[in-house]
Formats: sequence, C-alpha cells, structure tokens
Amino acid sequence: MIEVKKLYKSFGSLDVLHGIDLVVEKGETVCLLGSSGSGKSTFLRCLNFMEHPTAGSIAFDGKLLGRETGLHLDATTYKYDERELSRHRASVGMVFQQFNLFPHMTVLQNVMEGPLTVKGHARRDCKTIARHQLERVGLIDKSEVYPSRLSGGQQQRVAIARSLAMEPDVMLFDEVTSSLDPELVGEVLDTMQELSSEGMTMMVVTHELGFAYHVADRVLFLHDGVIAEQGAPEDVLKNPKTDPVKAFLSGFNNFHF
Amino acid sequence: MGYDWDFSYVFKNQGILWEGFVGTIQIATASLFLGLVVGLFLASLRMSKYRLLSIPATCLIEFLRMTPLMVQIFWVFFALPILIDVRLDPFAAGLIAFSMQSGSFFAEVFRGGIQSIDRSQWEGAKSLGMTNLKMMRRIILPQAVRRMIPPLMERSFELIKGTTQMAAISYSDLLYNAMVLSSQLYRPVEIMTFTALFYLCFLTLISFGMRTIETRIEKARE
Ligand SMILES: Nc1ncnc2c1ncn2[C@@H]1O[C@H](COP(=O)(O)OP(=O)(O)OP(=O)(O)O)[C@@H](O)[C@H]1O
Ligand SMILES: [Mg+2]
Repeated sequence: MIEVKKLYKSFGSLDVLHGIDLVVEKGETVCLLGSSGSGKSTFLRCLNFMEHPTAGSIAFDGKLLGRETGLHLDATTYKYDERELSRHRASVGMVFQQFNLFPHMTVLQNVMEGPLTVKGHARRDCKTIARHQLERVGLIDKSEVYPSRLSGGQQQRVAIARSLAMEPDVMLFDEVTSSLDPELVGEVLDTMQELSSEGMTMMVVTHELGFAYHVADRVLFLHDGVIAEQGAPEDVLKNPKTDPVKAFLSGFNNFHF
Repeated sequence: MGYDWDFSYVFKNQGILWEGFVGTIQIATASLFLGLVVGLFLASLRMSKYRLLSIPATCLIEFLRMTPLMVQIFWVFFALPILIDVRLDPFAAGLIAFSMQSGSFFAEVFRGGIQSIDRSQWEGAKSLGMTNLKMMRRIILPQAVRRMIPPLMERSFELIKGTTQMAAISYSDLLYNAMVLSSQLYRPVEIMTFTALFYLCFLTLISFGMRTIETRIEKARE
C-alpha cells in the first residue's frame, strides 16, 4: 500500500529524517512513536506531501509520486507536480492535533466539503456521504451545529468523518488526542480502533501507548532521523532492544498493559 | 464686535454647493471602486511567491502609503503630464492619486485579512486535496472577508474625507465650490460654517451606516 525508500528531509541545515525505509501493507495499522522533535510529524506530513521530501521515493499502491531529478547522498530526488500531489492528497486522509475544522461551516458542510469541491460530486450525493460518515462517528445529531459549539472530542470525530468522506485509501493521524481533555480521549481512540478493525490502512503518531499496544499491528520507533526499532507492539513495548526505546518507555513509568 | 450672521446668501446659492457635493460623491465612489480593484491587484502581486512580482509591489505599496496624499495629487496633476505628455483634468488626476493610494492601503487590508487566517485552515483544506484556488475561494476568503470589512470601511471613510484635498487642484467638489462661492459673496463665515455642517451630517450618516453593517457582521458571527 505505502512504500517509502530512503526518505530524507531537512529544514535548512537541520536534518530531520535520515533515510527512512518503510512498507505498510493494505489494512495495516502502524503506530509511530518517538520523543518530541524526533520527526514523527515530519514523516507523516511527507506521506501526503504537506512537506516535500528532500530526497527518497514514496509510492502508493505501486504508483511512484514525482519525477526523478537527481541524487542526494544515496537517495533519488524528485520533482513534484502540484496537481498530482492534490490528487494524491485526496486519496490520503489526514487528521490533525488541532482538528483544523472550518469554523464558517456547519458540521455537515465540513464533512461535505471534500466530496463537493475536490471530487465535484452532486450536492445531494455529498449530503448522503456526509450523513453516513457522521453516523459512523456518532455525531449525526450535530449536523447543523457549528464546530465551535462542540467539545474537543466531538470536533476531532468530525475531523475524522471529514477525512473519511473522501473515501481515502490511507488515514494519517498526528497526535489527534494530544490537545484533548483526558476524559475526551477515549471516544476518539474508540473511533480510530473501530476504523482499524474495519480494515482501514492507518499510520498513527501517538503518545497513547495503550492504543499502540492494543490496536497497532506494528509499532515503529523513530530516533535520530531513522527507525530505531520496529516490530509487533508486544515486542517493542514490553521488551525493547535498543537504548532510545528503553529510555523513551521509562518516561511512561505509570503505564501498565 | 458682534458679527451679523446671515445665511440667506447661502440658501439662495445653494445650487452650486449641491453641484460640488455631487462632485465629491463622484470622485469618492469612482476612486473607491478603482481603489478596490487596484488593492486586489497589488495584494495578489505582493503575496506572489515570485519575488520579481512581490518585491516591486511591496515597494510601490510602501511608497504610496508613506507619501502624503496631497503630494501624490500634485505629482499626478503637475508632474505626470510633463513626463508622459497627456492632459489630465482634475478628476482624472485625482482618480489616479486616490485609487492608487487607497489601493495600497486596501491591498494591505486584503493581505492582512488573508494572512490572519490560521495556517491550520490551509492545511486542513490542503489535506483534503484542494487546489490553491479552491482553498482560497472556499476556505480562506469566506473567513478573511469578514475580518477585512471593518478596516476596509475605515479606509473608505478616510478616502471620502480626503476628497476635500481635490480642491487644491480646482476640482469642483463641495469644498472648492464653497470657496468659489465665498469669494464671490464675501460671506466666508456663513458659507464655511454651512459647508462644515454639511460634511458633518454627510460623514455622520456614512459612519452610522458603516457601524450598522459592522454590528450586523458581528451578529452573524454568532
Ligand atoms: N517547517 C519547519 N521548519 C523548520 N523546522 C521544522 C519544521 N517542521 C519541523 N521542524 C523541526 O523538525 C524537527 C522534527 O519536528 P516534528 O514536528 O516532525 O517532530 P515530532 O516528532 O512530531 O515532535 P512532537 O512530538 O513534538 O510533535 C523539530 O526539530 C522541528 O523543530
Ligand atoms: Mg508532532
């Protein structure tokens, strides 16, 4: 489903990603862990080209994005066409820490917006799609409300519905519960767990180790711009082999599986 | 030394003052519309990702904002015709000066409004696969326009007041006609008092209208 080879990303002189290789299978849920500033968001944002990689290839469904232009260290560099990237983003859902809902639109309009303006579907069909997705996240009764009237957890579920309305092949989640009050985290994680069990391909950046442990098929640990360790959640979270992972997990001393 | 007020002269000759008022309205509305167009144009140049466009636009905007309006009017009226060999009547000269200067202020309002919209809105829209144009039209502008309206009205108000400076190049606006009339009738006290009151009523009315619009917008925002 997703195939990343030798992904490099620097911001000016700051090297954030240093040659990441990753294959994600269809239907897989992969959790991405790592300390703050280790480049988790950057990696996720490269996958839908919110950031352009410095070098390295990204392919979805066997289709390579961009045109080869040269070499950077041991990786190939690419030039991207904005229209191709827009089309790509339309097939990859992304959910943000701050929800990023559109405040001037109702919940229903928010969820309709993608199918309506990006896919150009008829308004009536978009409404049906949006209603369906809102039902899925349990917020159909909030359709006519503006996002500012909802709790953080509800807003985040609307954001998930808005992404799902595009019928994406992959969903990317970037610390989507980090700005929520503790009592609202559960409802969002439940929605994501459901999505995962329905077979959605998911990349999840999170500090919720419980979620990673119970829901992820695989856990990756990002450190110093590379994947320091990966494997089944039981292995990585219970028996970490490398020092950075051990150090990271020791920060969660009150965590029990 | 009591002054013998007599407004009958003013009322007998009020026709010429009304003509002047029409002149004021004409130059104000024309420069307002042209200024908005110029503003949109300058703002999009200034926000362009191509430096070849954004740097000259920035310089022009700053130049226009940082030089007095009267200097610009005089420059267009007296200097420009020598440089490019055209005859400009006062209206045309004023229109150019006003719409360029207001346009540069409007451009900053447009830019400020657009840039006041949080990055997260762009990202949310972008992640859905929207192109820049769609993002602008569907997500950014609808939010930005609400924020632009108060400063736009403020600038428009300044522009209307500023039209009195047209009198300096003999454009027959309300103030110029009042000056002409008072030099004919030797009644500057009444005529200038009347003119001041006239502006007072006119501008109060406009200010009131603008405030009504603003409260409407505030309400619509919930
Ligand atoms: N647009 C940018 N310009 C410059 N530097 C950036 C940019 N985005 C991220 N960085 C830097 O890249 C590094 C990795 O950032 P990133 O946000 O990917 O980390 P993260 O693992 O998601 O951290 P967190 O857990 O705090 O969200 C940080 O040092 C950050 O300051
Ligand atoms: Mg992050």
